[in-house]
Amino acid sequence: MDSPPEEKGYKHITIIWEVNMKKTGSVLLTALLLTVFLAGCGGEQDASGSDRQEGGTGTTASGQLNLFTWEGMFPQELLDGFEEETGYRINYVNFDYDETMLAKLEASKGGDYDLVIADDYIIETVIAEELAQALDTSRIENYGNIDAVYQGQFYDPDDQYTVPFGAGVQTIVYDPAQVDITINGYADLWDESLADSIGIIANYRVIDGLALKVLGESYNTEDLDKIKEAGDLLKDLAPNIRLIKDDNLQDDLISGEVSAAVMYTSQVTTAKLANPDLEIVYPSEGIGFGIMAGFIPSDAPNADAAYAFLDYLLDAENAAAYFEYLGYYSTNVAANDYLSDDMKDLLTIPEGYATDMEMIQNIGSEAEQLHSTEWVEFKTAAGQ
Amino acid sequence: MKNRTVLPNIYLIVILCLFYLPIILVILYSFNVSRISSVWEGFTLDWYRELLRDRSMFEALRNSLILAALSSAAAGVVGTLGATGMARRRMRGGKAMEYLSTLPIMIPEIILGLVLLVFFSALGLPFGMVTLVIAHTIFCIPYVYLMVKARLAGLDKSYVEAARDLGASEMRAFYDITLPLTAPAIVSGVLLSFAMSFDDVIISVFVTGANTNTLPIKIYSQLKTGVTPKTNALCAVIFLVTVFLGGLSAWIARPRKKDINI
Repeated sequence: MDSPPEEKGYKHITIIWEVNMKKTGSVLLTALLLTVFLAGCGGEQDASGSDRQEGGTGTTASGQLNLFTWEGMFPQELLDGFEEETGYRINYVNFDYDETMLAKLEASKGGDYDLVIADDYIIETVIAEELAQALDTSRIENYGNIDAVYQGQFYDPDDQYTVPFGAGVQTIVYDPAQVDITINGYADLWDESLADSIGIIANYRVIDGLALKVLGESYNTEDLDKIKEAGDLLKDLAPNIRLIKDDNLQDDLISGEVSAAVMYTSQVTTAKLANPDLEIVYPSEGIGFGIMAGFIPSDAPNADAAYAFLDYLLDAENAAAYFEYLGYYSTNVAANDYLSDDMKDLLTIPEGYATDMEMIQNIGSEAEQLHSTEWVEFKTAAGQ
Repeated sequence: MKNRTVLPNIYLIVILCLFYLPIILVILYSFNVSRISSVWEGFTLDWYRELLRDRSMFEALRNSLILAALSSAAAGVVGTLGATGMARRRMRGGKAMEYLSTLPIMIPEIILGLVLLVFFSALGLPFGMVTLVIAHTIFCIPYVYLMVKARLAGLDKSYVEAARDLGASEMRAFYDITLPLTAPAIVSGVLLSFAMSFDDVIISVFVTGANTNTLPIKIYSQLKTGVTPKTNALCAVIFLVTVFLGGLSAWIARPRKKDINI
């Protein structure tokens, strides 16, 4: 008597279960299949990678180079060439900001990564925290190719730890077809004819520094009065500012949204290649620049691979390919001969300018704080 | 009378355009000769060729898929168990427990990432897939938990009570009654977790190791060098695969005559 209703109710729920499972199960199953499939593909790739190593030269080079830098720094041919030439396998991993890289290095106590390429100011901190190892330059055959202009800078005064791999140089770019005046220096940006037509990046040390330069000061002054004065001067520039943004500012210059811009070097290169009519100005007030440099972390698992890569990337031809792809100024004298003619103008500073250059350095926290306050006020004034 | 159909249609079109126009543009520009996304210079498949040659991109994609699958599955189990357990018992401090367990989605990601970085390095756990899966499971659990909890709240308790009354053990009642009835909520929670894990960059960048680059990190770290149409090509491929899989699962789960009769 008892059993039939139980069975009936039970069956009813089982049917609901089956219907539900048919739908949900299929979704899960496809997701699972896809994962397994892709994992399988990747696995094969891995296997073939290690096969090649074992089957390759196998004499000197083995293992993996953990290369830690931004994505999109190297043309694929360059990475492939290194793997073929040396037998090391490149594991190219990325960070978003310099600060993240520092946090990762601190967490791994200078281990995990073999070669890091990052910005100058953060390397100063890395070296201070003893997270980089001193380079044995005798192991880098092509070390002599480095441009001396970019050596001995504040972050590594004795060139013990780093190899420069590209410089960002502050220029002004404008479209002569849209601008009535000839721009020679930063001071010209204040001209009334440029109302609502300038695009700038959101880097306050660069933009506040531009006003400091107009006042004839150093980028790195810690004189609070001067920084304040520069901030006030900058507020007068606000009516001329159309855009403040970091990414893809070059698109706005090319499309004509802005007619003059102060932006990152790779953006300048991209813009000039897209529109050769653009003028690049080395500001008469002096040139500010920054450096990207490579260093080997203190406890790198495979420093041999890192040395091999440093040497490979310092080779004149490889360096030329690297700078042309990256669009940063060449820090390799030997590479300059291999740059194509139209790229050479973009990636090297014309003679006579290189004397009046200044790096943007870390400054005291009080000055930094004031810069940041002035910047926020300027942004508000510019309506951004 | 006419307005009643015209206005909703316009509204629908506008919303659909907002959804899909950016995606269509991204796909369109993946065929662009120019590196710059504001200028159209002609059709090319070069970016797809370059994408296929980029081994590190595929490794990152594989890592991301494995990570999302593992962490959403783990979150599915923990979240479901948690929600059913909390629903069954009224224990002291239950409300506080519940608040605590949903906290991970309310804490800003950057803080959770930094905290986990410090925590894992204090534990001496090597950074890699293990730390990634733990971190992602943590922020995925609340999604499953909240979904399942909402579903359970709408369920009649008498189903389970009836089963228990008729002699089913607690486990049996869970497997035969609670689980089937909450399955849709579990699956949607897991799918949501999968998506959340797949596109997370802020937490990942802190807890990833030297061998586990994920796709979002890779794309995000192009900030310095600029996004090229290669990334557009990748987005196009992922979008098409998603559409294909969505269509496939809908086709497999399509209502059949037999099902409709029930």
